[in-house]
Amino acid sequence: MITRRQFGRLSGLAAGTVLLSPTLRASTAPDIALEIAPYTLEASPKHHFRTLAYNGKIPGPLFRMRQGQAQTVEIRNASSEAEVVHWHGLFLPPEIDGAMEEGTPMIAPGGSVRYSLKPDPPGFRWFHTHTFAGKDLTKAQYGGLHGFVLVEAHDAPGAYDREVFIALHDWGGHFEGGDDGFMNPVYDVSTINGKMLGFGEPVRVKQGERVLMHMLNSSPTEVHWIALAGHRFHVAALDGNAVAQPQTVEMLRLAPAERVSAVVEMKAPGKWVMGEVRKHIQSAGMGIVIEYAGSGGNPIWTQPEKLEWNYRQFAAAGEVQSAEEATRIELTFDSKFEGHGSEERWRINGKSYPDTEEPLLKNGERYRLVMKNDSMDDHPMHLHRHTFEVRRVDGSPELKGLRKDVVLVAAKSTAEVEFVAEHPGRTLFHCHQQDHMDRGFMMVFRYA
Amino acid sequence: MRSLLRIERGRHRLRASLLAMGAVLMLAQVARAQGNYEIQVYGADTVAPKSLMVELHSNYTPTGQTKLIDGVYPTNHQEHETLELTQGINDWSEIGFYVFTSEQDGHGVQWVGDHIRPRVRAPDKWHLPVGLSLSTEIGYQRAVYSPDTWTWEIRPIIDKTMGRWYLAFNPALERTLHGPDVNQGLGFSPGAKVGYDFTPKINCGFEYYADYGRLGTFDSLHEQLQQLFAVTDLNVSPKWEINFGVGLGPTAATDHLIVKGILGRHFDWGKKSAVD
Repeated sequence: MITRRQFGRLSGLAAGTVLLSPTLRASTAPDIALEIAPYTLEASPKHHFRTLAYNGKIPGPLFRMRQGQAQTVEIRNASSEAEVVHWHGLFLPPEIDGAMEEGTPMIAPGGSVRYSLKPDPPGFRWFHTHTFAGKDLTKAQYGGLHGFVLVEAHDAPGAYDREVFIALHDWGGHFEGGDDGFMNPVYDVSTINGKMLGFGEPVRVKQGERVLMHMLNSSPTEVHWIALAGHRFHVAALDGNAVAQPQTVEMLRLAPAERVSAVVEMKAPGKWVMGEVRKHIQSAGMGIVIEYAGSGGNPIWTQPEKLEWNYRQFAAAGEVQSAEEATRIELTFDSKFEGHGSEERWRINGKSYPDTEEPLLKNGERYRLVMKNDSMDDHPMHLHRHTFEVRRVDGSPELKGLRKDVVLVAAKSTAEVEFVAEHPGRTLFHCHQQDHMDRGFMMVFRYA
Repeated sequence: MRSLLRIERGRHRLRASLLAMGAVLMLAQVARAQGNYEIQVYGADTVAPKSLMVELHSNYTPTGQTKLIDGVYPTNHQEHETLELTQGINDWSEIGFYVFTSEQDGHGVQWVGDHIRPRVRAPDKWHLPVGLSLSTEIGYQRAVYSPDTWTWEIRPIIDKTMGRWYLAFNPALERTLHGPDVNQGLGFSPGAKVGYDFTPKINCGFEYYADYGRLGTFDSLHEQLQQLFAVTDLNVSPKWEINFGVGLGPTAATDHLIVKGILGRHFDWGKKSAVD
C-alpha cells in the first residue's frame, strides 16, 4: 500500500517550479512572499521549540486580500524538507490549493514556487502546511507553519473599531495511551499567538471599543474552549462565513482548523485573561492578557464551571423548507485496531487513504455528505476548495444558514452537510487531526 | 492515563534455606509457595491522583505442597484472597496497601499479613522511550504462612508497548528483615511479561516469575522458584481490570499448578467537572 509519505515522494516536487507564465514570472516583488525556514519559538523563557515558521514568526503573517483581486504569490522553501502551502477555505484550483493529494506539487528543499491566486470567498481564512508527520510530532501541523488570511469583500461592513487575530496552538506533543487504551498525542505546552500566558504582549484595548476577534485553532489535534473573563463574545462568523443568527456567548469552541469571528465590546475596564476554559490546558499556557488602557494590577480570570457550545444556535431560525434535492454520499468513519501501542488506522467506508473511494461529482450538482461516525473520537472534517452548509449535526433537526469548511462530527453521531460542486478538480476531504490524516483518514472527490 | 494494559504489578517472594539439603528443598518448597498471594508483573504506570484502585487477587493452588513442615501450612488446595488498595498521590507516585488472607480445609479463613508499597515513576514530561518506575514494599506475614515474618522488597520496573505487543520486566530484589533468612542478604526474584493484543479488549501472553536465590550465589535450578503463567487480560472498560492465568512450576521448589485471577476497579475521588 502506498503511504501518504510515499505518495508525497512520488508526486512531482516543484524544485524551482514556476506556475506563472514567464512574463509574470519576470515581474518584480510578489504581492505575497512566504519563506519557510527553521525557527526557534520561545513560548516562554523556559519553553523553546525548534520548528519551521513562515517569514520568521509564529503565527505567520496576516495577508489581507480583496475578493477577486489577483495576488501573485512566491513561496521559497528554505527548510530541509519538501513543503506545500494550503490556502484553507479559498476556492483555488487544485494545482495551487496546496494538497499533494489533489496534485499540488511539493516545493523541494531550497526550491521556490510562484503563482497567482484569486481570493474568494470573502472572510477569515488561513494558510498552513499540508505535509506528513507520522510519529514525528514536531513536523507538519505540529510545527509553526500557519498564518492568517482575511479576504475582504467589496462591501465589507465594519461594525467594529479594530481587529485582533488569535491563533491557538499546542506544542511538545508525544504519544501517550489514553483512558480508552489508545495512543493519542498529548502536549506539554499550549499557546496563544505563540506565547504562553504571561509571556506574550497583552492585547491592549480602550474602554468602549468594539474589537473583532478573528480566532483560529491551528492545533494539530486538539479542540479548544476559549473564554474572556468579564466579557462575552458576539459571534458574527464561523469559518469566515457570516452566521444566519449572530449570538452572544460566554465561550467559544474551536475544533482543529475552525475559525470564529466574534465582536467583544470592551466595557469592563481592567486586566483580564482570555484563555482555555479547561484548567489543565490554561495552566499549560493557553491564555493571553487583555489590558484596558490605564489599567493596573494582576489579570483576572473567572473560571467557568461547564463547557457550553452548539452549532445549531447560529443556524437560521424557524422551520427549514425542504431543501433542493441533493445526491447523498454516505460516508462511515471507523478505525482498525493496530494494538494499544499504536494509533488506529482510520477508514472511510472501510478503506484508508490512498485506497479510499473517489466519488465522482458533476459540476453544478448539489451533494449531501452523510457522515456517520462510528468511532469513539470526534473528527473535524474539512472539505477543500468548497464551502458546505451544515444541515444536521449533534442530533439537530434540519438546519439552514450555517456555512463552514470544517465541522466537528462527534463520536457515535451522524452529521450531514451539503455543497454545490462548482469548483472542478480533485478535491480533498479529510479529518483535520494531523495524526488521523497521517493514518489514512482522507479521500478525494473527482469531478466528471 | 495509560491503557488497561497496566494490569500488572506483582511480586513474588523468595528465600533460601540454611538447613541441610533435603530439608532445604522441602522447606523452600513451602516457603516460596507462600508467596502466591499477589501474582503480577508490575507495569510502570501509577494510579492517577484523586483516584483509588481496588483489586482482589484470587489464587488457588490445585497442586502444591501437601505436608506441614516446620509449622508452615501446606499450600495444596489453599485459596488466597488478597485485597490491594492503591491510592494515586500525584501524577508520578502512588501508595499501595495489602491485606493477605488464606482459606483451606481444616484452617478456615485466616488473616496472613499486611504490606505497604509506595511507588514512584518517571513523569511523562521526561519523554522516556520506555515506562520506568521504582516500587518498594515492606510488610509482615504470620509465621504459619511464611517463616520470614518481616520482608522488604525493591522493584525496578520497566515496560514498553509496541503496536500490539506489551513487554514488562521487574528485576526485583528482596530481603528478609525478621526470620530464618535474615542473614541471607539480597535475593533476586525477577518477573517478566509479554502480551499481545488480539483485539482491543483481549490481550493474551505469558508471565514469568522466578526466585534465583541469594545474589551472587544462586540456588541450583531445582531449588529455584520457576513459574510460567499463560495469562489473559480483558480490557473491557477503563474502569475495570481483569486478569486470569494458569501457572506451571516445573521445579521441586515451586507449586506445580496455580490458578490466578485479578479483578480491579478504579474509583475517582471527588467531583470532576468538564473544565478540570
